Amino acid sequence: MGERDPLTGAETTGHTWDDNIQEFNNPLPRWWLWSFYATVIFAIVYWTMYPSWPVASSYLKGLTTITYQTDAGEEVTSHWNTRALLQRDMQTGKSAVAQKTYLKVIEDSSYDDIAVDADKMAFVESYGNGVFGDYCAACHQSGAGGVVGEYPNLIDDDWLWGGSSTEIETTLKAGRVGFMPAFEETFNEEQLTQVASYVLSMSGEENDATLAKAGEEIFQGQVGGCHLCHTSAGTGLKSQGAANLTDKIWTIADVRGATTPEEKLSRVKSVIHNGVNRVMPSWSSRLSDTEIKVLTAYLLNKRATGDQ
Amino acid sequence: MVHSSASSTELYNYDIVKKFAIASLVWGVLGMFTGVWIASELAWPFLNFDIAQISFGRLRPVHTSGVIFGFGGNALFATSFYIVQRTCQARLAGTYTTHNFLFIGWNLALVIAAVGYTMGITQAREYAEPEWYVDIMITAVWVVYFWVFVTTITRRNQPHIYVANWFFMAFILATAILHIFNNLAMPVSFTGAKSYSLFSGAQDAMTQWWYGHNAVGFFLTAAFLGMMYYFVPKQAGRPVYSYRLSIVHFWALGFMYMWVGTHHLHWTAIPDWTSSLAAVFSILLLMPSWGGMINGIMTLSGAWDKLRTDPIMMFMITSLSFYGMSTFEGPMMALKEVNALSHYTDWTVGHVHSGALGWVAMITIGSFYHMIPRLWNTTLYNMQLVKAHFFLATLGIILYITAMWASGIGQGIMLREFDEFGNLANTFISTVVMSHGPFVVRAVGGMFFLTGMLLMVYNIFMTICQAKREERASIEQSVTA
Repeated sequence: MGERDPLTGAETTGHTWDDNIQEFNNPLPRWWLWSFYATVIFAIVYWTMYPSWPVASSYLKGLTTITYQTDAGEEVTSHWNTRALLQRDMQTGKSAVAQKTYLKVIEDSSYDDIAVDADKMAFVESYGNGVFGDYCAACHQSGAGGVVGEYPNLIDDDWLWGGSSTEIETTLKAGRVGFMPAFEETFNEEQLTQVASYVLSMSGEENDATLAKAGEEIFQGQVGGCHLCHTSAGTGLKSQGAANLTDKIWTIADVRGATTPEEKLSRVKSVIHNGVNRVMPSWSSRLSDTEIKVLTAYLLNKRATGDQ
Repeated sequence: MVHSSASSTELYNYDIVKKFAIASLVWGVLGMFTGVWIASELAWPFLNFDIAQISFGRLRPVHTSGVIFGFGGNALFATSFYIVQRTCQARLAGTYTTHNFLFIGWNLALVIAAVGYTMGITQAREYAEPEWYVDIMITAVWVVYFWVFVTTITRRNQPHIYVANWFFMAFILATAILHIFNNLAMPVSFTGAKSYSLFSGAQDAMTQWWYGHNAVGFFLTAAFLGMMYYFVPKQAGRPVYSYRLSIVHFWALGFMYMWVGTHHLHWTAIPDWTSSLAAVFSILLLMPSWGGMINGIMTLSGAWDKLRTDPIMMFMITSLSFYGMSTFEGPMMALKEVNALSHYTDWTVGHVHSGALGWVAMITIGSFYHMIPRLWNTTLYNMQLVKAHFFLATLGIILYITAMWASGIGQGIMLREFDEFGNLANTFISTVVMSHGPFVVRAVGGMFFLTGMLLMVYNIFMTICQAKREERASIEQSVTA
């Protein structure tokens, strides 16, 4: 029924569409057929080895097994499955075991021990790098330098909530709410300028002495009440997260980034006017106590070495 | 040639084919431009200008819908209507109104969906992002499409149904089933956009990926194989290599594809046996896929010189080569061990684009260069531009895929690397830093591909202008004679 093609000698099926479309009746290429059979053999082997076809309300389990320990410490051998694979890997995998061993060592060490032991510190550096990078760096930045006005710098010497190991742990576990009321309704424009001038004077910034004097009265008196949190000396209260205003470290108003005295004044004024409302989340539900300990040691070391 | 085509213009309805073909090119340029834009946003994030409506997450479905359903969908309407008429020797079933309902319905649905995406309206189901009201429009269009296509086939003046039409019928039927089941949802209110899926949890994910992978299998593969089965033998002037192979790989493809969607969910909270079945069927799918590639490429036997001389043939054969490559890569990535490395990395993105740009776009471009001059009863304006388009497109794809292999495999390796303490050696952000270079190369690759499309649009525009001139000249000639 078909015609023979003069070029290849192959026979067509004898059908013609749209003037000139024809089909050869060539057999399936051998290599194609054998390759297809090979994939069928692969499939049968795979189905024999691993969970595969559903049967009634269950499924074929496959011949491959995994032996692991349950949480109760009992040894169990089960058919291959993802959960058992993970269990076994976390119990006997080389990296999992190494990490677990190191974490135990950190759990049993004091911060002072960690600081002087090169091997422990190397682990803290490695583990902390990952935890900090994945959880903290999004706000505090990869170098922990923070963003002025938004997220505190963690490698300078100024710790709003205290920089001891206990205080850092508390901050990480419970989170912090940094709050300063907005004085937009309390102060008029003149008072704002006066208080801001006084604040600038505390850290030796250029200011108008008359205005600063008037600002001091507001700051230390009943009208402003600023001293209640920032203290009369202006050095702040760590229990409130109230900033030290005398140390030339500016965490909210970007005074150091301003070029003229007027700009510095206006930046401080805007903070007093708007107040501060910052939240650091609690990590106790996301990170274990040991992980928080590692992170604390990591931060203490970062600050000590000034490592950006 | 002019004479035979003139008679076919009377026998066949080309008006609707022309409309869909032009719409396809418009969507192609828009969709690919959006793709280049979001690729650039990833490389240079300032480009989102802090405008929510043009941020990556909103524009990404505009890009995917634009190229898959805009460019690809309109191209399939155009070529399937062209092919079914010519291989059945029958005029397209349905009236002017029926055809324009399809044309306007489909494109309007896409516009409404795309505008919705930029406003944040989405079902968040990949490749099925449109909300319920657009889904209903698409369903209505699809049922009419099915009727038009099947009725045309029943009215054929040919004893046999040509292989291209089998593939188109499988595509239309499967797409209907997939679209309807995956989009079963309950609107919160009939005056609001939001709806909730009828499925939940693992079942929901598995339904979505049953749809998602079969959108690849039937929309982006079977249908474009239909296109291939007509235009490759036409352009080559040679018979299809093997009828038997076409039967075997058609049924094997149709049967195997339906099982593999779950390979998108390896190592997640789905039953292990569903995962193994999906992996195994993906491997079983390799040879059936290659059957199509072999049948296309071997059709050229006896006319291999066309690979040097005919740029349209270059598009077609290159598309089949990319089809072969990505249908090899796919089953490998569907194996659980490989997937553990490749999943959630740019490797997946590269794989999709070797299929989408290499196979789907290139076979469409080659087919259009063949079909469009014939629709307007003329010859192509400039064949050198087609050659230039071919090299721009190929270079663009190669840049794209190699960049994504580099960043994707790099991400996979970095994310599973442990140091001597047993800790993960890298943070997520360090993989992003590593990917910046490849992101830039990928955006440049996309620009190459888009530039090629602009050449095509110019070439087609000039071809149509030329056709109009020729038509006027021939009318004047007949008047004076």
